[in-house]
Amino acid sequence: MITFTSFPVAPDPYLARNDDAADYLPDSDYMDVDLEEESDAGSSKLTCPGESITSSHAFMRGHGTYVENEEVISSVAGLIERVNKLVTVRALRTRYNPEVGDLVVGRITEVQPRRWKVDANSRQDAVLMLSSVNLPGGVQRRKLESDELQMRNFFEEGDLLVAEVQAFFADGAMSLHTRSLKYGKLRNGQLVTVPPILVRRLKSHFYTLPCGVDLILGLNGYIWVSKHVKENEQEGEEGFDAEAVYSNKNDEIDEATRTAISRVTNIIRVLATHSIPLTDTLLLEAYEWAIEADVDLKDLLQEDIGDALIAAVTNR
Amino acid sequence: MATISLSKSEKAYIQSSLKASSSLRADGRRPHDYRGIALETGVAPLANGSARLNIGKTNHEQSGGTEVLAATKLEVEDIENGDGVEGGRIVCSVSCSPSAYPHVSYAALDDLQYDYTTLVQDILAHPSLHPPNLSILRGKKSWLLALDLVVLSDSGNIYDALFMAARAALWDTKVPRTRSVEYRANGSRPAGGNDMDVDQEKQSALDTRQVKTATDFELEDYWDEGEPLGGRDKWPVCITLNLFPPLYYLDAALQEEAATPLRLLLMFSFKSQAPASLQGMRLMGTDDIDLSLVSGLIKEGEKHAGELFVAINAKLKEEDIRRTEKARRRFAAVR
Repeated sequence: MITFTSFPVAPDPYLARNDDAADYLPDSDYMDVDLEEESDAGSSKLTCPGESITSSHAFMRGHGTYVENEEVISSVAGLIERVNKLVTVRALRTRYNPEVGDLVVGRITEVQPRRWKVDANSRQDAVLMLSSVNLPGGVQRRKLESDELQMRNFFEEGDLLVAEVQAFFADGAMSLHTRSLKYGKLRNGQLVTVPPILVRRLKSHFYTLPCGVDLILGLNGYIWVSKHVKENEQEGEEGFDAEAVYSNKNDEIDEATRTAISRVTNIIRVLATHSIPLTDTLLLEAYEWAIEADVDLKDLLQEDIGDALIAAVTNR
Repeated sequence: MATISLSKSEKAYIQSSLKASSSLRADGRRPHDYRGIALETGVAPLANGSARLNIGKTNHEQSGGTEVLAATKLEVEDIENGDGVEGGRIVCSVSCSPSAYPHVSYAALDDLQYDYTTLVQDILAHPSLHPPNLSILRGKKSWLLALDLVVLSDSGNIYDALFMAARAALWDTKVPRTRSVEYRANGSRPAGGNDMDVDQEKQSALDTRQVKTATDFELEDYWDEGEPLGGRDKWPVCITLNLFPPLYYLDAALQEEAATPLRLLLMFSFKSQAPASLQGMRLMGTDDIDLSLVSGLIKEGEKHAGELFVAINAKLKEEDIRRTEKARRRFAAVR
């Protein structure tokens, strides 16, 4: 089946001329956001580029702002944040800003001497040192020359991995580590990408949905959807089995699980296009709605069904 | 090949999903399903014909999908002294925005553009598709039809998108009406300069001199932009069969393309009341295929191309109606 649609139509300027709406001019007073009047520093407000935030005499300009005519003006669309006298605007649509301790999903782009370069949706490629991965034959041991020579046996170009941000280098690039049995190479599933702002910092970023699907929400907006692996069957429970941890082979995955993985992926895409932050409860509700409404898998991505899904899960 | 990097397990997952009995794909499509296609014609006001096409973007998304912009421009060429060819010619070019292929280096992007250009040029500039109304003055002037395609973003199935956009832009192309002009020197008049002597100037109805001696042309001032390019039904559509012999699937997403070893491109042209003609065929990839399978695949491809052709034609006619309506409303609003 092949269907053609039209692009969403911009309002025709010749027709809008007759509309009453065209006479409406935004009230200029509305734009004035005075931080002095804002009672507590914790509250944040949305702003858009070119909008005057405050006076430059009383405040210092931070990221996402500039000064013109003695006023601090936003240069991006985002949330105004204030620390003492420093005003910054955190952009809504941006690359991932890493912080130490964040959980990220990344893809290896390069294998270099004693390190891997990892694409983690950040401004620079992240670095994964050979010394910060689990090596075969024991979790804690010194790296050897033989490990250096077989780095591609652990990770090679294109491989996906889940890791934690360990530290930053002087140039702002992040350093990752996978020194936990929860971290490491990813398999048995597929990746879906959302804007990083939609993934919030949570207590845990590993979820298991009751439909037999594991979910890893990377804070960089990369989300790994995979087949559920039972706790006691996870690799490395007893001792460390390097063969299994760095394996490229998928397990046997049945049809129902594949369908569930695709359905979860589509739901995440729908939620992301509607700019709705992802949580496990929301995903679960959406999944149940999709099952109850008996929506065909691929129809989830259609506009009207997506809207119905969003209406159903956000109104509860 | 401009494929993204994919881990071995991802590739294996995509391949095993397709080969499974239910043949499920990452976004829940069946193997022969297309993503939604959005098409709009007349997007570039200064072009003679233009179209914008997007495969796979939903209306809420800001970006995404495979987006191609196509526009045609007609230029006058001199046949005697310039590059012009009797009956006009077609030149196609494809350029890729660097943002469409962020992982590809500049030199590789040039190669990619060249590959796309060669393919489109080979297929569309073929004599069997040549439009009949590209000549202006026999032996002197002709139209050069320049078709430019820009790849704005690529999320798979770029070849089908390129040919669909090209078809839409060529369908939309209007050739300006021209009238030939004869140059007659003053010296040919009788030297006496007698104004009364008009009879000699009179031409008989059988005089064909106008055609022979016409040296230049002028554009007719008429209410529309010209007449449509001749033979516009013939412009081909491309269908890409992504192969896992003997299986195949259509409209691969970027990840699926990276996991597919072999692709068969088939370009079909459909003329009214005639069987579809295969205009071109390309086999791409690293794998090999048994020759005996190919003829079956061509048949299957023809079936799908037919469906695509019917769908795109319906949409193009709908666009024509939409645009004439828009012009009328705009006219009414200005008045």
